[in-house]
Order: sequence, then structure tokens, then C-alpha cells
Amino acid sequence: MPDSTPRTVNVLSDVEFGEELPSFEPDVSLDNVKLHGKFVGWGTGRFTDHEQAKKEGFPGAIVPGVMSQGFLGAMIHRWAPTATITAIDTIFRAPVMVDQPHRITGVVTDIDEEAGTVEIDISITNEKEETRVFGTATAKLPK
Amino acid sequence: MDEDIQKLRDDYINLEFDEVSFDLDGERMAMYGKCCGEQDPRFTDPSHEDFQAPPTFVSTLVGGRHLPKDMPVPAGVGMDAGKYVEWMAPIRAGHSLIGKSHIHDIYTKTGRSGRMIFFVTRMELFDGDQHVANADTRTVFREKPSA
Repeated sequence: MPDSTPRTVNVLSDVEFGEELPSFEPDVSLDNVKLHGKFVGWGTGRFTDHEQAKKEGFPGAIVPGVMSQGFLGAMIHRWAPTATITAIDTIFRAPVMVDQPHRITGVVTDIDEEAGTVEIDISITNEKEETRVFGTATAKLPK
Repeated sequence: MDEDIQKLRDDYINLEFDEVSFDLDGERMAMYGKCCGEQDPRFTDPSHEDFQAPPTFVSTLVGGRHLPKDMPVPAGVGMDAGKYVEWMAPIRAGHSLIGKSHIHDIYTKTGRSGRMIFFVTRMELFDGDQHVANADTRTVFREKPSA
């Protein structure tokens, strides 16, 4: 039976150039966005109420950018539990919609053996495969 | 570089315009981690010996102002166009951070719908004397093309 456990890396030499990070489905449900709004912030109507968001000109409630950035960071930590993310840049190209499935991806685009770091291209796409958020991250791993 | 943008850059880049203090609450840090899908207890369990905020948590720290009070900006509402975090040291619960904000960059992009002006606000975060992170916010204003 094939092993369905997502691949993880612990040291820099485990990382393969061009490898795709194991993904997970980010929880963009209204309940989760409301929970985030209650405890962290960004709890106003455009994030937590589809009707209010429509009144503000959006197709529905939108996921706060800080959550989108957090999903991408969590993906890196799940793949490389010993990694330290030293930089992460996210460009909000279009809204990530609440209650609609999205996919997060990461691809290793560079490995710096001397610095002990990897560069990762990151993105969030919707069901139509439209890129909503993209960027890059740098993570440091033990050698 | 457009003349008006060069003037804004000359007048405002690196000018510090805001300073705020943040008391770091472990429950808020942990809930951010959980809502974003973190599974490692060092990001989700305040009782963990190495508990710290996920690096992107600093993007949730909002200063008193996004832009200098007297800076001329285009009409309309600025939209959040992106966030950048540079992490230097763990962000610990129970500590207080000082956030000092300045304009880090101003630039434009021009498309079919007109010119877009991007303001990059950088908040430098300090835990005592230690510089622990930079949190950048890009705000974009879309100008309407002249008739």
C-alpha cells in the first residue's frame, strides 16, 4: 500500500530543487474567518458577512490577506517542521473568496547551500485555477 | 520616474510617522496559527516551551496610521495590495513590541485602467533593544484616467 503521509524535510540536504511542497486545503469557511475575526482581527462585514461584502462591491465575503499569508506559512512549516521562515512576500492580486475552495502551492526554486536557505514560489489559486495570491518565501533549514 | 512621484519620494521616504506599542497575547497568537492551519505546537500551544508566533503574525499588528497624516494621496480608498515580512527573532507571548513606521517605497505601475500608485509602509518591530521583524504593507491607489 502506498505511503500517503505527506513528505517532510528536516535538513537542507533533504530538499530537492524544483520539488513541490505537499499542500493542504486552507480552511476559508465563514466559520473559520469569523473565528479569526473574533480572536485576531479583521472581523468586519466584508470578511464575515456575504451580504455586507456584496454591499461593499465584492462578490461575497473575502478572506483577510493576513490569513492568506498565514496559510502559505503553515504549508512551509508542515513540509519543513525544522525550518525558520526568514522572509515571506505575498502579493494580493485578487480576493480569496470565503466558502469557495482554494488551493495553495509551493515550489522550491533555489537552494543556497552556503546560507542554508531555500527559496519557494508560493501561490493561492481558486477552482478556476486563477491566481489570487502569489509571492516568494525564504526558509532556513539546519544543514 | 513621474515628477509627482519623485517629489513624494523626496519628501516622505524614510520619514518615521508612527510609533505604537503592542502587548503580545498568547491566545491571540495561537488562534492565528490555528486558523491558518499551523499544526506545530510551538505555534498553537501557549504552554509549549518554545511557543512563539508564526512569522506572518506580525502582519496582523496594525499601527496608528498607515500613511503620514499630511501626505497627499490620490482620491479614493487605498487597497491592501500585499504584505512582506522579514523575520529576525521569535515573537514571544507576554512581551511588548514597539512598532515604528516609515514609508519604505513609493512606485507606480500603469495599465489599461490608468496609473496605480503603490505606497510601501514598513513597520520596524523591536522587543526591547532587539530588532525582531519588519512588516511591510503595500497600499495601492488606482487613479482614474483623465477624460
